[in-house]
Amino acid sequence: MRLTSTPRRISRRELLLTSSAAVTMLATTGAPKFAFGADKTVKIGFLAPLTGAVAAWGKPGLDGCQIWSDRVNNAGGIEIGGDRYKVEFIAYDNEYDPGKARTGAAKLIKEDGVKFIMMLGGDTWPGVQPMAEREGMLVSTLLPSDLTPDTKTLIAPCEVHPIYNVTGVQWLAENKPDMKTAVICAQDDALGKPSVATYLAAFEAAGIDVIDEPLFFDPATTDFAPVMTRLLSGKPDILCLDTCYADYVHPLCEQAFQQGFQGTIISCTADFYPKIIEKTSKEFMEGFVFQFPDFDDPALNDANVNFSKPNEFFQEYANRFGESEWSAVSWEYASIMDLWADAASKAGSIEPGDVLAAMKSSGKGKHAFGDADWWGEELFGIDNALVGNWPVVVIENGKAVIKEYKSIPDWWNQHSDLVIKHFRALGQMWDQRG
Amino acid sequence: MREDISKISKWGLGLVFLAALLVLPQVLSYSQREIAVLLVINVLLVASYRLMTLTGEWSLGHVVIMGVGAYASALFAKRLGVPVPVSMFLGASTAGLAAAVLSFPLFRMKGFYFLIGSFAAGEVIRLVWKYFSTPFGGPKGIKLIPGFPDIGPISMFEPENYYYLCLAVVSLSLFILYRIEQSRIGLTFHAIHWQDKLAESVGVGTFRYRMLAFVLASFFAGLSGALYAHYIGTINPTRFDVEEMVFVLIWAIVGGTNTFFGPIIGVVALTIINEIILRSLGFDSARPMIYGALLILSVLFLPKGLEGVVQKAGRIFKARKAPEPTVRREQNA
Repeated sequence: MRLTSTPRRISRRELLLTSSAAVTMLATTGAPKFAFGADKTVKIGFLAPLTGAVAAWGKPGLDGCQIWSDRVNNAGGIEIGGDRYKVEFIAYDNEYDPGKARTGAAKLIKEDGVKFIMMLGGDTWPGVQPMAEREGMLVSTLLPSDLTPDTKTLIAPCEVHPIYNVTGVQWLAENKPDMKTAVICAQDDALGKPSVATYLAAFEAAGIDVIDEPLFFDPATTDFAPVMTRLLSGKPDILCLDTCYADYVHPLCEQAFQQGFQGTIISCTADFYPKIIEKTSKEFMEGFVFQFPDFDDPALNDANVNFSKPNEFFQEYANRFGESEWSAVSWEYASIMDLWADAASKAGSIEPGDVLAAMKSSGKGKHAFGDADWWGEELFGIDNALVGNWPVVVIENGKAVIKEYKSIPDWWNQHSDLVIKHFRALGQMWDQRG
Repeated sequence: MREDISKISKWGLGLVFLAALLVLPQVLSYSQREIAVLLVINVLLVASYRLMTLTGEWSLGHVVIMGVGAYASALFAKRLGVPVPVSMFLGASTAGLAAAVLSFPLFRMKGFYFLIGSFAAGEVIRLVWKYFSTPFGGPKGIKLIPGFPDIGPISMFEPENYYYLCLAVVSLSLFILYRIEQSRIGLTFHAIHWQDKLAESVGVGTFRYRMLAFVLASFFAGLSGALYAHYIGTINPTRFDVEEMVFVLIWAIVGGTNTFFGPIIGVVALTIINEIILRSLGFDSARPMIYGALLILSVLFLPKGLEGVVQKAGRIFKARKAPEPTVRREQNA
């Protein structure tokens, strides 16, 4: 005989009673350490553009931070001064506007009580600077060109933009010595100009001739056909897209494809590059050189790399948001959090001043791509940028591949005068800005 | 007698409104006070824009003119060491002067051509700021602009104190703008808008009056720019681009431009929705989409703008309050 039973529906009252009893039991009998280990929470501010033209360098970073905090919190939090802390990110969309950035900083510092703020920087940093200085708030930027001798609490611990771009040019010169001429274009803004100065220095150091004046286009440009026509008129071997936003890199590549460019493209970023391949072709994008790897790259498992479990991080990102949404900044803010957590543990405190002192105490730091030095005095007037190795990434068969890690300090020691010369010519030295 | 009562109630309402504005910072959080400062500055910007539109010309360069005031004031204070209150006035005057110069090419055009011409002129000014790193700072703009000096122990860095300063300046400016509109000059602006040929035929110098409206509007837009620059401490060409101008147009359109208060209602309502309500509901990333949807809905369902709603509410309120006419009562009897 087969016994059958009709499933009984649980009433709301029963569900509540059962759940509360279960929670009480877990709490009294002692739950596993990893689930209830962190009894305190530290709040971290995320003050970057989440909407608008520059959102591609904010939103994917926030997504990466959520993965980072889930990892850390699920592992029981961070041990700081004998307590375990969970990490909570509080985001504020500054729309890349300095006024809104100031409002955001005020909210994060005065109302949310954050202990550290991560920013994209650039145009928005000067709006935040007075507030951060008055409150002694530790702030990170992805753009070291924000650094000046006055910015004591501002650090650039991940990207030494645009200096790492020299590694791509160096690799290109070593591996494609037949490439002898180049042209450069960039949007005419605070990101474009220092990057152009760096590429000019890198090309000069590599013996590559820049055959025309750098072409600065207005950020409001939408038709890139005339821009590309002018760039290609001198038949260059290398087309340098500088640090253009994704909104420009994509149409510029499309135009280069349509106008029959046959040489090599080098760019700081190639965010969402699978979409560029869709619009052009795998063959056209073959050999595209840039600086930001996909984190499923096996080369990131190198012993020198400090970023924790990069391949798993990439997989989780792809699962949550889609592989094509991966961008240059998806991992960067998370890697800054690795540094912050390490320094806070070392300091035994979450207070901004203590963390900063611990971070810089030995003059060295654990950068995502290997141990690095706090540097920047010559270029930024302050040693608040963490600089070490940086990968050179090339698109091969439709996929970004790390070809080599190159040392930025080694290049700098040989060619610093060139960078300073071009920075000064374009008015980008710290004493020339604003 | 009824007119007197109406006047008294208007004054009473005005006083209550003023008291509410004075108390406002006390009920706001710190970051909301920051928003209130920017809102008051934008009120002046959009109210000055309305003066410009009185003659019938819609400009796409008004935010750039605000920028002229901001840049000039910042440079006077930072490079020449002029005291900030004086540099603000000089900045506003520079914006007025720039408008006077631009009037000559721009007022050779009308309607759509003026709109495009004003956009082109604005872009030329923005490119000048970008191209000449000295003295304008290039694409990065000007940083570390001196703030408004503290008054004794009152720190002007604090949003609450700067709010009161802005409130005083903007209230005075609005009063002047309102008086201009109500004056004979204001009526002439209206006449030029609706019947420019007829106005010319009775001896009105339309060019001079258009220029006057442009210069006055630009002076106050420049003043709003100066208030902004010395509070935020940094300005750059992107801050005054056409995208910002679109916001001014949206505020004016959603608020309505038939009355003096229409654009002000627009900027206040949309700022509260965008910066406070949507942010507090956690719609950070979806705000542009929701903002756009609100704009479309308001254009579809509120063709007279929010001022139309306020006027309608006022009429209903008056109709309820007014005593029944004596004649009708007698008829009923």
